[in-house]
Amino acid sequence: MTTKTFLNGKPIEDAIEVYEHVSPMSLYVKVLAALFVLTGLTYAVSFADLGPASLWVAMGVAFAKATLVCMFFMHLKYDERYHVFVFLSTIIFVAIFFMFTIFDLQSRDRLNEEQETFFRINQGADWDEAKKTNRPKPGDAKADAKMDAKADAKNADPKAPAKAPAKPDPKAP
Amino acid sequence: MSSAHGQSPKPPHAFFQHHYNTVEQQAGAAKLGMRAFLATEILMFSGLFLAYFIIRMFYPEMVLGSHELLSKTMGGINTVVLLTSSFTMAMAVRSAQVGNTKGIVINLYLTIACACIFMVVKYFEYTGKFENGIFPGKYFDYARASEYARAHGHELVGLPHIFFGIYFCMTGLHGVHVLVGIGVLIWILVRAKKGHFGPQYFTPVENVGLYWHIVDLVWIFLFPLLYLVK
Repeated sequence: MTTKTFLNGKPIEDAIEVYEHVSPMSLYVKVLAALFVLTGLTYAVSFADLGPASLWVAMGVAFAKATLVCMFFMHLKYDERYHVFVFLSTIIFVAIFFMFTIFDLQSRDRLNEEQETFFRINQGADWDEAKKTNRPKPGDAKADAKMDAKADAKNADPKAPAKAPAKPDPKAP
Repeated sequence: MSSAHGQSPKPPHAFFQHHYNTVEQQAGAAKLGMRAFLATEILMFSGLFLAYFIIRMFYPEMVLGSHELLSKTMGGINTVVLLTSSFTMAMAVRSAQVGNTKGIVINLYLTIACACIFMVVKYFEYTGKFENGIFPGKYFDYARASEYARAHGHELVGLPHIFFGIYFCMTGLHGVHVLVGIGVLIWILVRAKKGHFGPQYFTPVENVGLYWHIVDLVWIFLFPLLYLVK
């Protein structure tokens, strides 16, 4: 067979040979030891009372472990750059997903107050206790009455005028 | 799937397809395809992780009270087992790279063994929950679970069935991934025993290794978030 093989426009000698980087066994053992150490660290730190920082510490350690697994066990360090790009773009999209959702949800409380929307749990008699511990606002009996009035007005007569006549004032002290 | 290109002196590159220029290019393309699939897996789990973060953001006391009922020891054992299985998987890929067929087989056996240990520990963990009335979502037995919590010195506040719904969903989906991984590993083991893999062709071992490392990666994030963080 005297046909030349080309790759990216340049002729190459042997199409069959595969030149891949073989990591030494000691590297894998070292990475495994580092992973065990980091796991122990997460476990130990979880017993210390760090407050809100405990989430960030745990995430930091998890990211370190993830980097070790990705770079060495998954060979990302020795692969073409494009593979790293694909992996990092996944992480970026996950970050976009998290960021936008959490930004939206964090501003929900103020938005709900301005719009005067209220949430109600319609679970039935079993969840009375849950309702008591999960009331978002103190004056909710009035909110319930207001919502009932709105619902009655909507369901009673489709041809009736849109606004219900008597609405209790939700802002009454 | 095998189209022998010209005269192939040894079986290892018998799967070289005609539309690739070199074997290395073919292996690289296969690996890239696998990484694209793994990107979808990561995004799938990220949806569940976001649900966890949202619940944690809005109901921190509920999450705090409920997550005390999870067994940290079992979670820790599972983490160590999965890390070891990741190591043996990387060893299997390395054995294929240097042409050590016996090494591939042994390491694949060890990986499958570690995965089975993971599933057994998970089985005990789940039955421990079910015995005490902790079920996902609407099957959550509030009375029995509160008793169990009080017996351990914790108090369940709010609606813990939501937290446990998320817990069972995330660990359950991860468990399904481990089971599928066991099946795929058995397939690769059978092929390795037949002698399909060598330094010139070990793409299936490498790709299954990538999948297995992602499964381990998801657990690395799952364990601190669900079990450890206050």
